[in-house]
Amino acid sequence: MSGAQPKPTEDTPRLAKHAYVTRLLGTALGPFLALGIVVLFFAVADSMQDDGGAFMTVRNFRTISAQTATVAVAALGMTVIIIAGGIDLSAGTALALCATVLAWSLKEDVAVLVVAGNNVQGVESEIEELQEKLDRVTREIDRKEATDSDTTEAMEERDTLEKGIAAQQEELKRVTKIAASTSRYSPTLALALGIGAGCLCGFVNGFLISYLRVVPFIVTLGTMRLYLGVSKQIASETTVRPDRETQVPEWLGDFLSIRGKALWAGLPIGVWLTLVLALLLAAVLRYTVFGRYVFALGSNETTARLCGINVRWNKIAVYTLAGFFVGIAGLYQFSRLSVGNPTSGIGLELNIIAAVVIGGGSLSGGRGSVLGTLTGAAIMAVITSGCTQLGLKNPVQDIILGIIIVAAVTLDQLRQRRFAD
Amino acid sequence: MMRSRFLFMTALCVSLGCSKSSDNGSGSAGGSGGDKQYQIAVIPKGTTHEFWKSVHAGAQNAAEELGNVEVLWKGPLQESDRDGQIAVVQDFITKGVDGICLAPLDSQALVPYVEEAKEEGVPVVVFDSGLDDESNIVTYVATKNYNGGALAARRMGELLEGKGQVILMRYTPGSESTTQREEGFLETLRKDFPQIEFLTTDEYGGTTPESSLDKATQLLEKFKDEVDGIFAVCEPNATGVLGALEETELAGKVKFVAFDPNAPLVKGLADGTVHGIVLQDPVTMGYEAVMAMVQHLEGNSLEKRIGTGEYIATPENMNTDEMKTLLNPEQFED
Repeated sequence: MSGAQPKPTEDTPRLAKHAYVTRLLGTALGPFLALGIVVLFFAVADSMQDDGGAFMTVRNFRTISAQTATVAVAALGMTVIIIAGGIDLSAGTALALCATVLAWSLKEDVAVLVVAGNNVQGVESEIEELQEKLDRVTREIDRKEATDSDTTEAMEERDTLEKGIAAQQEELKRVTKIAASTSRYSPTLALALGIGAGCLCGFVNGFLISYLRVVPFIVTLGTMRLYLGVSKQIASETTVRPDRETQVPEWLGDFLSIRGKALWAGLPIGVWLTLVLALLLAAVLRYTVFGRYVFALGSNETTARLCGINVRWNKIAVYTLAGFFVGIAGLYQFSRLSVGNPTSGIGLELNIIAAVVIGGGSLSGGRGSVLGTLTGAAIMAVITSGCTQLGLKNPVQDIILGIIIVAAVTLDQLRQRRFAD
Repeated sequence: MMRSRFLFMTALCVSLGCSKSSDNGSGSAGGSGGDKQYQIAVIPKGTTHEFWKSVHAGAQNAAEELGNVEVLWKGPLQESDRDGQIAVVQDFITKGVDGICLAPLDSQALVPYVEEAKEEGVPVVVFDSGLDDESNIVTYVATKNYNGGALAARRMGELLEGKGQVILMRYTPGSESTTQREEGFLETLRKDFPQIEFLTTDEYGGTTPESSLDKATQLLEKFKDEVDGIFAVCEPNATGVLGALEETELAGKVKFVAFDPNAPLVKGLADGTVHGIVLQDPVTMGYEAVMAMVQHLEGNSLEKRIGTGEYIATPENMNTDEMKTLLNPEQFED
């Protein structure tokens, strides 16, 4: 036993190093390579077209980066969840909920609503409604007078309505005064509410998963519907449309715009923010205790518990963090659409999960990387954009995306088997 | 590693194969005649609904007639995916097509991207539904929805011989095309048939046949003894109303005018439960959109608004050739 000891100590570092390199190749370089192949494929195919050559242009890559940002940011959060061995099917509808909350807050001038308890449009429409009623009553009185019927009741109603209008006019003065000083805080507050809604959605998911001890797949299948319902409620089952000229601040509208005036160092600000968030998240996963816990949870939950990790609260933290990213993604979606629509997140969760999986995240937990996820999101965006530019039809595009996802999962399986050997 | 890379390459080869075969399919239009070859992207709201298949057929007809036009037909992957439609618009701008014909999914969300197209030198013709800001578009090709509503009102007036009580069930707040139909119906009926009264004009059926069925059932129960006629402003609403009429056993007794056909409604027209269906002409819409774009590209000026016609099918005329084509419009086939 003692005689054989020197040999392993000499061998182990080399072995470990070899394994590390393979792992790196598998998790980070693999998706990167795939992205390279996909880009190359479309570049060649595009240049073979009669009027091709637009694919390998700065504009195209700028467009693709803006198109993928929403899914990419949400996928960053999903990466953490998937590494921790969970899944979040509610990400899509939660994202739309955040966008709807943001749109609603802007439309309702939320800062004024909070301070004054009402907003200018609200009072104005109240006055309009009362005025309409008053007109109707006045007509009724005229008609009754013409036929000599009893008008006292209608007269009384007219008096109350007139008083009501006067009171509302006073209210309008008060609210307008408050609006003059507080209205400018609405965008900031709206932003906070939108992102806050995301965090809350994540917290609810995490809390239910931890305390009900139901698998994340089922819990989030439920909350997916729940969040859809909440946003429909907020939007009164329609689309929330804040006025683009007066209610949406310019920077918010330009957040993911690729038009010249909106760019910052060649890319939309939203894309830069995505990259910064990705770096921060990578650092958190790599260097903090929380990051280690996330991997531990996903690798083996029982062991993690036995090691003294507070599984419940760490799970809640994981889902809340992911919810934060969903909130940011909601902001991205709103900035692209300038409307809040409750149903515009349906199906998005599948793109988000696909981005993580294509990027090397393992649905059985314990593995995934920020860089891989960004690459995965980019691969899907490149395919979507490339297919349009090649004039490929939707069925073809769906088939290609499907094949890529199956290929990525197959790779994941092969990798797992190799490590298991 | 080798094995997995091999798998990946196989997957890519398969997709390459797919793309090649359909490339040949879509690039077949155009060719002979004309001095300049135009590439026109036509972007519908979705690609699976029958209505859009007919628009596609019309666009393709225009391309074949002109000979020097290639139609690139591409909608969002999922129906009603605004972000997806925006991406398609941006990608066609990048591709540098000669023009884009767009049926915007959202009257507000698509505005900045149409502006972007104009800045990049790609003209945009809007069809089917309008935009809030029409300053950057070449023209707007669509059904005149107000006239469609007016047609329905005249039919209703005839059916009731100028007197009676009717229900107008609205669609959903904020939808431009259906609001126009509602206004057209209300104003025409009030003006031309002053003896007809409205039992209700401010109830919304909602966007699905299910919600319309619920709302219509409530209304018909409430006005069971008074109602003589009912108008539904679009296909899902009409489907719901037809169901409600059957449920309340009023089918055939209450005069029912619908907007946009589907199989049950056409069947209703034949067996007397539906008394009129206002029809749009999607084939002409696709045709006119492409034609307008080519006119613009060749330097001709255009009207700001191009109507594509609206018609009314009745049990009496439903078997004429014209109505048969409109009730069963041509659909695009590969």
